Amino acid sequence: MTDAPVHIAIRRLTKRFGSVTAVRDISLEITRGSFTTLLGPSGCGKTTILRTLAGFYEADEGDIFFGERRMNDVPSHRRHAAMVFQDYALFPHMTVFENVAYGLKIGGLRGEALRRKVERVLGDLGLAGLGDRTPGMISGGQQQRVALARALVMEPEILLLDEPLSNLDAKLRVTVRAELRQIQRRVGITTVYVTHDQEEALAISDRIAVMHQGEVVQYGTPWEIYYTPESVFVADFVGTANFIRGRVREASPHRFTLEFGGRMITVELPGRDLHPGEEAVLNIRPEAIQVTTNLPDEPRVNVLEGVVRTHTFVGQWVRYWVDVPLRPEAAPYEFIVDVPDPRERGILEGRVFLRLDPRKIHHLQGA
Amino acid sequence: MKKLLREPLLLAAIAAIFIALGLFVIYPVLRVLLYPSLRDFLGLPTNERYVTATLHTFVIVVLSTTTATVVGFLFAYTFARTTVPCKTLFRSIAILPLFSPPFMIAFSYILIFGRNGLVTYTLLGTRYNIIGWHGLWLSQTIAFFPIAALVMEGVLQSIAPSLEYAARNLGASGWRLFRTVTLPLARPGVAGAALLVAIYVLADFGNPVMIAGHYTVLPTEAWARISGWGDVTGAAVLSSVLLVPAFGLFLAQRYWVGRRQYLTITGKVALLTLPPTPWYLKWPLFAFCTVVSALILLVYLGLLAGAFCRGWGFDYTPTLRHWQDVLANTRSLIHSLVFAGVAATVSSLLSILASYLVSRKAFPGRWVLDFVAILPAAIPGVVFGIGYSLAFNVPPFDLYGTATIIILSMIFWNIPMGYQTGIGRLKQIAPSLGEAASNLGAGSLKTFWDIELPLLKSSLVSAFVVSFIRAVTTLSVIVFLVTNRNVVATFTILNLANDGYRGAAAALTTALLALSCIVLAISRLLFGRNVELFRI
Repeated sequence: MTDAPVHIAIRRLTKRFGSVTAVRDISLEITRGSFTTLLGPSGCGKTTILRTLAGFYEADEGDIFFGERRMNDVPSHRRHAAMVFQDYALFPHMTVFENVAYGLKIGGLRGEALRRKVERVLGDLGLAGLGDRTPGMISGGQQQRVALARALVMEPEILLLDEPLSNLDAKLRVTVRAELRQIQRRVGITTVYVTHDQEEALAISDRIAVMHQGEVVQYGTPWEIYYTPESVFVADFVGTANFIRGRVREASPHRFTLEFGGRMITVELPGRDLHPGEEAVLNIRPEAIQVTTNLPDEPRVNVLEGVVRTHTFVGQWVRYWVDVPLRPEAAPYEFIVDVPDPRERGILEGRVFLRLDPRKIHHLQGA
Repeated sequence: MKKLLREPLLLAAIAAIFIALGLFVIYPVLRVLLYPSLRDFLGLPTNERYVTATLHTFVIVVLSTTTATVVGFLFAYTFARTTVPCKTLFRSIAILPLFSPPFMIAFSYILIFGRNGLVTYTLLGTRYNIIGWHGLWLSQTIAFFPIAALVMEGVLQSIAPSLEYAARNLGASGWRLFRTVTLPLARPGVAGAALLVAIYVLADFGNPVMIAGHYTVLPTEAWARISGWGDVTGAAVLSSVLLVPAFGLFLAQRYWVGRRQYLTITGKVALLTLPPTPWYLKWPLFAFCTVVSALILLVYLGLLAGAFCRGWGFDYTPTLRHWQDVLANTRSLIHSLVFAGVAATVSSLLSILASYLVSRKAFPGRWVLDFVAILPAAIPGVVFGIGYSLAFNVPPFDLYGTATIIILSMIFWNIPMGYQTGIGRLKQIAPSLGEAASNLGAGSLKTFWDIELPLLKSSLVSAFVVSFIRAVTTLSVIVFLVTNRNVVATFTILNLANDGYRGAAAALTTALLALSCIVLAISRLLFGRNVELFRI
């Protein structure tokens, strides 16, 4: 995937709305045929980028390239970057067939060729036989697929998706998500996807650009984003994080000890050299923490004693909030711990021991 | 702007609308304001007739606005908030005045309550005469309360019944509930309705010219200056004076109350049904609505009777001879329908296109276009008419006595009707639809034609209908523009009534009403019944 040529290049893009800077000096390269997600909370600028790519917004500064071609001055209706809208934007006064045929007709296609092409796309997306209905007469999932069909029938080189799944219910969203990914792989179309749902982003993308306050704070594969976030923001936004803040006491290559509220936490990290006295922020995911009711056997590295404050049971796991007392004068630190497959052990209460695996702790460099 | 330059067609459309509105709205108004010299304006306080007319205008605006708003509120409350019997019937009757020529109510009340009136003389044997300020007050109240009622009905309906249920749940009921919950929530709507009515009363020409007698108001005095003395300067001075409060009321209505009122109306559907109205409220409201409805129906009754009776006040034998006068005036009837039809078609298309550009496109001066497109709503018809006669009866735009000048005045006077309907409807249409079309390769005007225009069909039709009615029934705008060549029915009616041919005037009004009803029925058949009328 990394060998593929760059298809969409965003160079130092800035977009302002009045006094608000929605996108600040962003550069991003998207390779041909990849599925790239812009992920971030609302107001982070992700939709602004997408709409600038589509040509609905003009760049205040910077350039947009599709391949070698600079797109800044190309009007939206000449960009051939098909978009699927959050609200689908199906034309309510046209049938499903007319909706899908609309762009082709503008392109000059008529008659039998037009009909065949539309029918084929409708068939591919499981919409055969719905051509005569109007958008109001079909379900939300079907509407979503019509919107996709209307974009795909144009055989665009670039597909832009603006939170296309946010109006579907949770189960359907997972199904459609998988379908979408399959179609994208099959067609090999360069796709830019916008969402605020981190789970969706992890599940569907080749690469994720995490955005915050108009800037891309990290750009990488879902794996990199989840396991090696570069900042507190990314660690916190993608998945759930336990942050451990402290000062480095001892350090040797690939291994160091951090003082955390009077307790020592040992971390083994290849490729990270820290020096004593340095401040550091660590992150450990809730599922990486082991919980026991008895004091675990030796070696007792990174074992913390705590008290279960509360829990929620969500089926496949139980999430605990465990208070770990630190220095006597300080408030206890609250760890979030996920215990999978809780059926055998039941719900834990009272005193527990947490074990933080030194190899599962991640040091946040950009913190 | 860069975006705009890439679409020359769009740019051309925007430029054309700017030029059209500048030439046909701004220019005539400027002509009125700049026609008199400063000395003419300074001489105003010393002219007794001017001062009297100004005072009269002020008094009647206060009186009529107050009563029309109160009557309108009671009707609106009845429609929206009570279980008064026959309330839908009352509603249907109440909107009738909106479809009728503005002078018709005054004219008909003269027939009924005048010196030879059907009620006052024939039934009661008095020589009471309604002509004067009290007649004007009554006519304007009946003519304009429906506007207030429709505005306030919308506001009252937007107050979720759940709020009243909540107040009841907390122990409030009856008067206390009304005073502490319903009325405060409706207050912005009431203020907005009152200002709107005041604009209509201020601009009213048809009622005072018929019924006010010696009680001159600014629009009738301006008309008298020109028709009686040929004093164009005086008419322009009076028009300018009239424009000041009209503009002030308009600004207040639009930018102060209008905005808040809009916030009140949220589209949440209230499914709770209304609680039954207590008897002590129900029956007084019923009686009140019955009386007002009767007063409205009397207008039409009087008109019909007038059209078919031999000699009003002394000889009530049925006759068709007034209809010979109608036949003699076929030309003005045809003019009315054709001019209004052409004007309404152009006006609705133009105003809907303008509303699309303003709500969907970014271009410099967008707020100017928005402002100018609704500005004619602030300009009293008389001022508009005088402006057109000053601007387009002389070279380089010499349209004197042509159909064009009448049609143009009707087009641009009615722009705000379609424009506001269009803006409202476009707010409900997701902008993403247009973007999707653009994304699929459609340019701006193609998008408008393929996507927005079909979705705006109902707005377009209602804009057409409203413009048509206003154009057919207007007297104030055209009274300064007609000549023998381009005469329209309302002007003929005015002349017939003034010359004492009341039967003929009644017959011609009836014919005009009937013909407009036929046109409306046809357009309804053509375009479906899904047409919102008079979204004010």
